[in-house]
Amino acid sequence: MKLLQQFPKTVAWVMLLVLLSLWEGCVQWLDFSPLVLPAPSLVVAALWRGLITGYLWPHMAQTALELVLGLGLGCSLGFLGGVVLGESALTRRLLMPYVVTSQVVPKLALVPLFIVWFGFGTTPTVVITALICFFPLLENTMTGLEHVDAQRLELFRMLGASRSQTLWRLKIPACLPGIWAGIRVAVVLALVGAVVGEFVGSSKGLGALIIATQGSMDTPLMFAVLFLITLMGLVTYHITLALERYALRTYVRKGNVE
Amino acid sequence: MTPALDSPFLNLQGVSYTYPGWPPVVQGVDWRLARGAFHCLVGRSGCGKTTLLKLAAGLLQPDSGGVWLDGQAVTQPSPMAGFVFQSPTLLDWLTIWDNVLLPAQLRGKVSGKLSGLVGQKVRDKAATLLDAMGLSAYAQQYPYQLSGGQQSRVAIARALVLDPAVLLMDEPFAALDAITREELQMELLNLCRSQNSTVMFVTHDITEAVFLADRVVVMDRGVMTRDVAIDLPRPRTGAVRYSVEFNQLCAHLRAAMDVGAP
Repeated sequence: MKLLQQFPKTVAWVMLLVLLSLWEGCVQWLDFSPLVLPAPSLVVAALWRGLITGYLWPHMAQTALELVLGLGLGCSLGFLGGVVLGESALTRRLLMPYVVTSQVVPKLALVPLFIVWFGFGTTPTVVITALICFFPLLENTMTGLEHVDAQRLELFRMLGASRSQTLWRLKIPACLPGIWAGIRVAVVLALVGAVVGEFVGSSKGLGALIIATQGSMDTPLMFAVLFLITLMGLVTYHITLALERYALRTYVRKGNVE
Repeated sequence: MTPALDSPFLNLQGVSYTYPGWPPVVQGVDWRLARGAFHCLVGRSGCGKTTLLKLAAGLLQPDSGGVWLDGQAVTQPSPMAGFVFQSPTLLDWLTIWDNVLLPAQLRGKVSGKLSGLVGQKVRDKAATLLDAMGLSAYAQQYPYQLSGGQQSRVAIARALVLDPAVLLMDEPFAALDAITREELQMELLNLCRSQNSTVMFVTHDITEAVFLADRVVVMDRGVMTRDVAIDLPRPRTGAVRYSVEFNQLCAHLRAAMDVGAP
């Protein structure tokens, strides 16, 4: 216990090594077929081969591109939609039922339809990723705009601020922490959207590669791709966290920022 | 400073206000505030003090009666009035300097660039105010880096930056510790004297009211019950607080607040 408290990071790495060795040992000892569960050494070899031959890079670039485009598009539209719904009670009353209904629709089930609409390739995946990112941003922006501190609103009324001044100089900056929380949720969901979109709608990208390795029974490579997807998710998430910390550096912490 | 009571600067006549679904909070208040004088409004919690202040500010419109500032009817928040809220209400994402200049920014007096004669005047004023409150070194800091007392000072500087003719204050020092509160009371009095501001100051603290005011008004359940002149010498110093007259006035006001209390 003492060791854990003193060197938590070292202990975490040692534990990872122990688990990987256990995995390797079990597979060797029980003589598992690499088709079912490949040993970590095989996965690393497959990953290494894929990286140095340049086989994996175009697929990673494709998924990264869809992720970035989908995130950008979905977050911008979600933010704009949130501003419109948050500012106008009339539009909110009119459109909220539709928003709630479309929230409940399992969006991944729409991929086949999008292939019909947009064809095979990058577009349907970007659209599905954007659609998935849209709602957390819409929801958080709208809720944030409705819950701006009453005293700050009175201050702006007292200072004779116009509606657009109140929106851009008070409401949006004030709900920035909520907007960033929405972006964090969107980033995690976006990767799911991109990968699953590629399962069905693309021949390029890490999701498409998983389907391909399934077809060719190359389980070690499938594991290598899973590892890359996880890595991509972690990197994007931490970049988002860093950007959020920078953007909110002057805000009084309320305990919800990691 | 010679308050001319015959021509009130801020004039409330027969003002009543009711929040929908509640009993009336302000009932037929007549209050004449002299130019350049410091007026305090005391009363128990929920007696309608803050509502009356918001009516005077134009943030609320009276159901009956009216409010006049320098002869003009107040129907919306007036650029001639500065308002200080119960909490500092600073904007987290702006520096202290930009927080103080916010009123000028919103009213279009300072363009994005540092040019223009009016803009220069406002910036000079902001610098003077920050200097007077000992905050010059904090101009480029953000609100979270300041103590509660310093944040209150910034809120006062923000209210004064456009040279308002009247300053409306809603228990601005209620959340501060006793020593900081006394410091801020002194600073506020000095600032008001140098600017010859007319002040309407709401508080529930009788000693604060007596220390600051030329006149103290007592309010009880929506009605003004007493208007007392405070004839203590100016400028007021910390020693005033321990004088016999000061304590007599406090006792007198305390008794006035107890009259008709449940």
